[in-house]
Amino acid sequence: MSRWFLAAFAVLTLALPPLLPERHLAIYVLLGLAATVTVGVSMLMGYAGQVSLGQASFYAIGAYAAGLLTMHGLPSVAGLLAAPVIAALAAVLLGAPLLRLRGHHLAFATLAMQLILLSLLGQGEWAGGAIGLQGIPRLSLGGFELRDDLGYAYVVWAVLAVVLLISRNVVASRAGRGLRAAATNEIAAGASGIPIGGYRLAVFALSAAFAGLAGGVYAFYLGYLAPGSFPVLLSIEYVVMAVVGGLGTIAGPVVGAAVIVLLVQALTALGTQTGMPSYAPSVLSYAVYALLLVAAVLFLPRGIVPALRNLSPLGGTKDGSH
Amino acid sequence: MTDFLGYLLTGLGIGAGYALVASGLVAIYRVTRVVNFAQGAFAVIAAMLTGTLLAAGLPHGLAELAGLLVAAVTGLLVGMVAIGRSGTEPGTSLIVTLGMGVFAYAVEILIWGDQPRSFAGLPGVADVAGARLQAHYLLILGVTVPIFLAMAAFFARTDLGKALSACASNRYAARVVGIDVRRMGLLAFALGGALGGLAGVLTTPVQQVTFDSDVSLIVNGFAAAILGGLTRPAVALLGGLLLGVAQTLIAGYGGGAYQLEVALLLMLTVMIVQAARTGQVQEALR
Repeated sequence: MSRWFLAAFAVLTLALPPLLPERHLAIYVLLGLAATVTVGVSMLMGYAGQVSLGQASFYAIGAYAAGLLTMHGLPSVAGLLAAPVIAALAAVLLGAPLLRLRGHHLAFATLAMQLILLSLLGQGEWAGGAIGLQGIPRLSLGGFELRDDLGYAYVVWAVLAVVLLISRNVVASRAGRGLRAAATNEIAAGASGIPIGGYRLAVFALSAAFAGLAGGVYAFYLGYLAPGSFPVLLSIEYVVMAVVGGLGTIAGPVVGAAVIVLLVQALTALGTQTGMPSYAPSVLSYAVYALLLVAAVLFLPRGIVPALRNLSPLGGTKDGSH
Repeated sequence: MTDFLGYLLTGLGIGAGYALVASGLVAIYRVTRVVNFAQGAFAVIAAMLTGTLLAAGLPHGLAELAGLLVAAVTGLLVGMVAIGRSGTEPGTSLIVTLGMGVFAYAVEILIWGDQPRSFAGLPGVADVAGARLQAHYLLILGVTVPIFLAMAAFFARTDLGKALSACASNRYAARVVGIDVRRMGLLAFALGGALGGLAGVLTTPVQQVTFDSDVSLIVNGFAAAILGGLTRPAVALLGGLLLGVAQTLIAGYGGGAYQLEVALLLMLTVMIVQAARTGQVQEALR
């Protein structure tokens, strides 16, 4: 991808929030958060070759960590910074036994992890039980409290930019090359001296940190949290976004999240129009997730971004001239 | 002691339901090496349809049979999408079945809404050696055990069953001797659909069903099946019964809220122990 395109995209997304009405601003924030989590999922699936059906648990861990710490008197910035750290620590502790598993075993193990977490949150007095945490203070930076959605739109923009930068650097690093080798042929990579287990755990922790950071922002943005905000379906949505956008690419997660979130929003708007039955929005969104996932896996196995790059002759020559 | 016997029999009945879900997973995995995430959806669809047909006045037996048939057709459809294209990897098929499971949500809500549903099963209370339990649990057990015996005989004794097993043990060799591996895979999906449907139809009278019941169904079924490495029906039956009894005993003696967690922890432990025993490299080669 060319540098100019990237700069234009950055300027456009920075200029957009003040022009958006309030309800579209909320979509902007949620899209940015979804893209942030998806960057981690895409890294995990594309580079470490593992399917996680429990990524929303790290989103939940980050959100609850930020919420609980701030409600117990910590400054909100400290709570936000602690969110990715705590999520990554949880990932290291859980990943040490779980990452011995592969393929469908790991998929079920991560699903189990999330179900256990949801039940612990739902039954724990300290986490507010099924009602959840209410009255989480808003994020304040240097004495200035972020009250309106516009501020959060820029916080999310910055978070996504940082996460994309980190993931680009990790992918280009020695560890990133090692992981790609391991995803292709684990035995050969291991024989060449790549510490596969360690790298895999590191990617798992990094993707959890991304999800945790996004969760922290979510906690301050919404002001309340409940176990019901983090269903198993949310984890599946992240997988859909990662697969549709294109695994193992930098732009893929952003494109995937944008396509899915905007499509689902458009269909929800359609489904909530007068005259439509009350179940229309949920039926439409389930159908969209399902059909996009199946179609992407079967017909665009590498996702939208690589497919577009192959299609356009312009993109091809640009890549060639690099 | 009669308390204990009651819990034990109820647990066996519940466990038989898990074993049926597990048997569908095993039937599909044995032949295609695909773990079918849509397995729970077969049960939900069969149960919901049976409920509707019973409410419309169809007699018991006929309604259940219709539910099973539709579940088998659903299984076939899922199979056609999941393994229909040649060269689809089992890992890819897994994600496809996940997508089909979510698609089933849309269909189920569209037809039956999002409220829990149930229908009446075998009425009355049975009395076994002083322990009282809902008679329906005995019906579940009474159907499941013969089904497993029939399945064992089918895989071991009939030509078709042997052909299915051949696909599982060596796809290439199976193709060489003239077995259509893809067709056998689709057959396995239809069989898995019927077995999943049977699980749904049998357990719904004692356990309400909603469109998203499939998550707990598949988790319990997978936990039962993983004990036998997803390939051995007899071990899956044992695993299901064990799981059902363990959950009922824990619930009966005061841990009511933790039933699903028992299955989850059992599943995690079994998988981690298996991975430690077979070694990571072998696992990756599968």
